[in-house]
Amino acid sequence: MSRDKTNALEIVDHATCTFCGCVCDDIKLHTDRQRIHKAERACVLGKAWFLNHTAEAKYPAALIDGREAPLDDAIALAADLLYEADMPLVYGMSNTTCEAQRECVAMADTISGIVDSHTSL
Amino acid sequence: MGGKVTCTLGEVKNRADFIVYWGGNPAECHPRHFTKYTIMQKSRFLPRGRKDRTMVLVDIRETKSVKAADIFLQIRPGKDFELITILRALIKDQPVSDAAIEQTGLQRDAVEDFVRRMKAARFGVIFFGMGLSMTRGKHMNSAALLTLAAEMNAVTKFVAMPMRGHGNVTGADVIMRWQTGYPFGISYNRGYPRYNPGEFSTVDVLVRGDTDCAFIIGADPGATMPRPAIEHLRRIPTIVLDPHVTHTSRLARVHITTAPAGIAAPGTAYRMDEIPLPLRPAIDSPYPTDHQVVQRIHQAILAKPDWRARTAQQERQLDATN
Amino acid sequence: MLRIKGGRVYDPEAGIDGQVRDICIRDGKIVESVEGAAELDASGMIVFPGGVDVHTHVAGGSINFARAMSPEDHRRAQAFIRTQVTRSGLGGYAPTTFATGYLYAAMGWTTVNEAAVPVLSARHTHEELHDIPVLDKSLLVLMANNEIFIDLIEAGEYERARDVVAWYIWAAKAYGIKAVNPGGVAAWKWGHDAKALSAPVPGYNKVTPGDIIQTLARIADELRLPHPIHLHCNNLGAPGNVATTLETMQRLEGHRAHLAHLQYHAYGGDGWDSMCSAATQVAEYFNANPHMTTDAGAVLFGDTVTITADGPWQHLLYKLTGRKWGNLDVENETGCGIVPYTYKPSNLVNAVQWAVGLELLLLIDDPWRVFLTTDHPNGACFWRYPEILQLLMSAPFRQACMEKLPAKIKQRIVLPELDREYTLLEIATITSAGPARALGLPHKGGLAVGKDADIVIYNPQDDIAHMFGHPRYVLKGGQIVVDDGEIRSTPAGREIICQPQFSPDIEQFLRPKFEDCYTMSFENYPVEMERVAEPLIHPCPSPTDT
Repeated sequence: MSRDKTNALEIVDHATCTFCGCVCDDIKLHTDRQRIHKAERACVLGKAWFLNHTAEAKYPAALIDGREAPLDDAIALAADLLYEADMPLVYGMSNTTCEAQRECVAMADTISGIVDSHTSL
Repeated sequence: MGGKVTCTLGEVKNRADFIVYWGGNPAECHPRHFTKYTIMQKSRFLPRGRKDRTMVLVDIRETKSVKAADIFLQIRPGKDFELITILRALIKDQPVSDAAIEQTGLQRDAVEDFVRRMKAARFGVIFFGMGLSMTRGKHMNSAALLTLAAEMNAVTKFVAMPMRGHGNVTGADVIMRWQTGYPFGISYNRGYPRYNPGEFSTVDVLVRGDTDCAFIIGADPGATMPRPAIEHLRRIPTIVLDPHVTHTSRLARVHITTAPAGIAAPGTAYRMDEIPLPLRPAIDSPYPTDHQVVQRIHQAILAKPDWRARTAQQERQLDATN
Repeated sequence: MLRIKGGRVYDPEAGIDGQVRDICIRDGKIVESVEGAAELDASGMIVFPGGVDVHTHVAGGSINFARAMSPEDHRRAQAFIRTQVTRSGLGGYAPTTFATGYLYAAMGWTTVNEAAVPVLSARHTHEELHDIPVLDKSLLVLMANNEIFIDLIEAGEYERARDVVAWYIWAAKAYGIKAVNPGGVAAWKWGHDAKALSAPVPGYNKVTPGDIIQTLARIADELRLPHPIHLHCNNLGAPGNVATTLETMQRLEGHRAHLAHLQYHAYGGDGWDSMCSAATQVAEYFNANPHMTTDAGAVLFGDTVTITADGPWQHLLYKLTGRKWGNLDVENETGCGIVPYTYKPSNLVNAVQWAVGLELLLLIDDPWRVFLTTDHPNGACFWRYPEILQLLMSAPFRQACMEKLPAKIKQRIVLPELDREYTLLEIATITSAGPARALGLPHKGGLAVGKDADIVIYNPQDDIAHMFGHPRYVLKGGQIVVDDGEIRSTPAGREIICQPQFSPDIEQFLRPKFEDCYTMSFENYPVEMERVAEPLIHPCPSPTDT
């Protein structure tokens, strides 16, 4: 990784945009690791996608019944709920990584649930 | 027919001199599709780039993509299947009545010109979007279009490709196929994968009230699904993993904030043509990744007593200890 | 630590032919002796080295395409219900990844070579291989229709071509080179094919399929890859293709080579009506020329799905059968076609194919050079191997099967005249020792001290197919993975990859070419080492010049 001399931003080159199915992997990001200041070669949708996310802790780590809760409690409760369910459903998996998707399918297997993506809509 | 005759996007870039977009609006939904993969690219086989290619847009309304098209065929809503069937007939020199053609909203001249151009192409490609696959006829439309592309290979090289939408939905398809054999709509309820869209697809499962707990990741059904489906999500314990507090988070029992994929979370994503690409995150998120959280939840479940089938070996061991 | 006690051992490499020996295991390897180890009583049982599949299609874009096209088969396929040690899955003709591992292991096979991978999607193939438990795995990358590579041959730039191939192998984290219908798949990108070895590939002025074959064979030798060029010849499946096959074998003289699924390349006649076996001709040449190995690509009757990088052949098959057709052309590199298929005993062409696979296995006299495969899933699914072993070991069983074929078959095949029956030692050779040697895996395919403890133990039975389909124990790396038909443990298995040497300058040359014809970033193309699960790296010595 190199440093942009003019404004001391880190350059992440050949970054991949996952906003749409084009998955362009030639994006040049200028970042201070807190926010992305510039997304070269990205389209209008991609720019918005990259520039709107920041490292700011905008949301609580977790919510239980709408109230802030520690992450560990939320994970434990999620596991309890899925374990106790007779017919759990695992759904979505569009805006996430393959690594998470593989774990989702594995978890659906473990809990004998239903697993489905956006494709079924 | 069934199946799919397709290619990676680079083949379109390198060879396609005839490009059809059917029921999609790439100018607004996939803005770099034209410039990075299709009509604007120059290649060794198409050295003049845009000048060496013809682009036909088929849609029910004028969108911003019309500007980029050489030919725009505006068809009547819900007549995609009919037009595809007419094209299949004309390609085989079978007679089609004027009345049949006119009900699609097009004139015979325009349709016959389309057929001539398809046949004259060296390498043709049809991209189809949700305007085809999500309107009247749905998967029947997609199947008919894929058949049209396959049959065109009796005349010249032709392929078709769906314009997959959101982010990494292709990755989910690919992974479910290798782990379960099926692309979506899968039930593990009997301990092994079964597939039945309409039965195990999420909207149906929710509307029927067939599920008693929902785990939602990388999607916001609370904003997009039919009301009865959303009502059921509200009734049952719902768990949401998302970088934002979404509509679904607000009706969920549990929301966990995660790092956005590709921006703050590393890993892999698949392009619409099923080519995997590495992600290079550029932000240090305060939140864990989806992968880390799902893994932790899964591990916590695995740590609980397992009621599932034991191997015969384990049964024997149990018998021996009892 | 473990001692396998009192079994009748078959180890072709060590020349042990059914003698009673103890086998000792420590840390996953076979050792001279162990003190105070647990004992596994194998008295009266048959002990083989674990099976090695030299040519199969189990992971990546093409088999995953076939899975998508086969929901009707999944529905009736063997279901693997999740247990405390296994994931769930489905068998059938395009099994899911987890089921693939369980099915191979349950049959005593412990190493497989995925034979056709585009570099562009190698990342995907590695992800699937990661989800195939138990087995050790390697993969071959498709090079014979790579346009950057063909351009270099056309330009006469051999040295650079060699560096490019080495770079691609390492970029894919692959084990070796596969060549499919050299030039023909590139021509298919415009809807054409390349059928003659000495005619220029459509779209090129000079370069011929023969040039591509000879160049790749030389490159594999000079890069000192453990496995030579792995070749799917031109004209697969076509009546009369024996001429092409013989010419190909002649052109390969002076090189090492492995000819894949030879059954599909040993036909006489000049059309479907006159198609007949040419196994005798092929086997005679093969027996007289020791520079090659091959695998059978045998056919069994029943339903399957055909998958090959040979796009033009699959288009023909789709036109012949009118069934589903999948096609995936891969930019700059290769193609892939998928058509479901049913081999019927009543169909004369299929009957000839069935006979040719067996004839080659029986007519090639050195079991170290011909190996058991079905080109899974093309000729039949790998989990049907035990049926072929029965056909090889029992001449009366073969005769009984031939009774069910059309009477006209007799003039077209030589199988009725062959009475050879394979011995157990020969079976151990064609299923394990031979393919391990051909792949260049010195730690596989035997039971001598120092080998990996991949071992399969059978209870002798009269029903040969049943015996081979139901081993009593299977050990992988010394661990019992199958016990009486049950999957007992699921170790991850390793990925065996090759690191050939190339000039670092080659990236400078490749980058602009790459940016011209690919659609992803050059930097994102190579598979990173950390994406490969449990890698076992074979470093190649510096290239030799011939």
